[in-house]
Amino acid sequence: MPDPVILSVGASPVGDSELTGRDLFSVALAEAFENLPDPAGIVDALYVGNQSESYEHQIMYGTLLAEWAGLRHVPAERVEGCAAAGALALRHAVRDVRSGQCDVVLACGVEKMTAGGTAGATEALSAAFDRALEQRSGITAPSQYALLAERYCHETGATEEELARVAVKNHSNAARNPRAQYQSEIDAETVLESPYVARPLKLFDCAPVSDGAAAVVIASEEVAATLVDSEETVRASGVGAGSNNLAVAERDLTFVEGAHRAARGAYEEAGVEASEIDVAEVHDAFTVCEPLLAEAVGFAPRRAGVECALEPGERSDGWSDVELSTSGGLKARGHPIGATGLYQAIEAYEQLTGRAGDRQVEGAKRALCVNEGGVADAVTVAHVLEAT
Amino acid sequence: MTGRERGDGESPRRVKPEDLTAESPFTLPGFFAALSDGRLLGGRCDECEQAFVPPRPACYACGSREIAVEEQPREGTILTNTEVARPAPAFAADAPLTIAIVELDSGVRLTGRVAADYEEVEIGTPVELTVRELTDQEKEFALDHEEEWPLHVFEPA
Repeated sequence: MPDPVILSVGASPVGDSELTGRDLFSVALAEAFENLPDPAGIVDALYVGNQSESYEHQIMYGTLLAEWAGLRHVPAERVEGCAAAGALALRHAVRDVRSGQCDVVLACGVEKMTAGGTAGATEALSAAFDRALEQRSGITAPSQYALLAERYCHETGATEEELARVAVKNHSNAARNPRAQYQSEIDAETVLESPYVARPLKLFDCAPVSDGAAAVVIASEEVAATLVDSEETVRASGVGAGSNNLAVAERDLTFVEGAHRAARGAYEEAGVEASEIDVAEVHDAFTVCEPLLAEAVGFAPRRAGVECALEPGERSDGWSDVELSTSGGLKARGHPIGATGLYQAIEAYEQLTGRAGDRQVEGAKRALCVNEGGVADAVTVAHVLEAT
Repeated sequence: MTGRERGDGESPRRVKPEDLTAESPFTLPGFFAALSDGRLLGGRCDECEQAFVPPRPACYACGSREIAVEEQPREGTILTNTEVARPAPAFAADAPLTIAIVELDSGVRLTGRVAADYEEVEIGTPVELTVRELTDQEKEFALDHEEEWPLHVFEPA
């Protein structure tokens, strides 16, 4: 079987942009193919992660972006899975290459969330909840995660101040990421003094509304070798995916099982253990997500996940030495929903090729990306990426 | 076949295509029609005893399709709760909303509004399920087929 690698990456800056979705994609495409032949000459298929047509009143993003890239002749489709759409697109690309069906596949994601303001984003995101019982009760995305946070703090003794430190850490990382929406540090008081959005979560516990597009080019190792130096590629060695109930109430409220299954699948395919992962991008849409995911993917002992905000050497026994959300995470890098999974892969790519600048983790060899959609682990995709 | 009698209305069995009418509790119109009559109907898996609302064709815990329909108790306990400061526009007039995940005494869990201020309830508070029609404002938010579907609301017991 061919070994899939990341051949190249590109992305727009994340933030509140004057550009539309297709324009943001053009930015990502221009960066990703700066040193490559025309996409038409090498790309065999295209997948687009995209959450919602409600922002731009545009579906058919597969067709549109294929046209924009000069790829009308290849199969192209939009992939839907709320915030996991990006990693689902990446998973399709990796599997198409591994199966031998394609030599090169373009995985991308695009979201223009600011188009409808905060109210528009609230409305669009609520479509990811169960219509029958959840949506009709008036619940919002922050309040869904607040239900998880309240229970997590109740069972583990974690405090609002400890959750705030997750936001502080991720802002600190984003301050060193030129792609990030918030390239500035904050202190815990800023988080703790921000207004409650849904108790116990405050404004600064939440990822922002973001515009952005990202592109990741997956190729077989053999074809990649004809296009770039092998040190510029990263192996996509394992991918796993899993679902959980759509309604949050029916899940384990303090263990994100879907993410556990997805990560286990990725580890098994790659033949690695959680303890071997050096850097990880986890789906910190809200501060409570990072501790929940650290436990579910095997970095932290149960109930100790909230130590994710500490330096590796300061954490309890049983914690791995993984560096989490070096990009700034969804919290501070930004969270353009359908593109987020690709931004995660780009951070992993930059860390594993030594291109992460001031936030470079020395000697990083293995990365895990965990991208969730719906509330928490309604659907999760995990990728293990390894330096060549 | 798993040894259970098929076709007996009282016995767990797989739903058949012809069962799935708008009167069946295995469909949302049927589920909400029963709720309008004051009956919250759930499913219970005959293999692993997992219970859930609404009823559905297969058990999410074990995958079995042998599902019995059971009326649920109204009494339950708050597992976790929050206050929605800024709900979606359709609910803005009622803000802030108290929302909770409740475990009914049958083990069924569901999310719903709580008719109490956030400070009045906490994890462990006993609650009782009530059912009401949608308000005019909520009906504006509802899709055509949802307008007659009632809303479940928990009240502190």
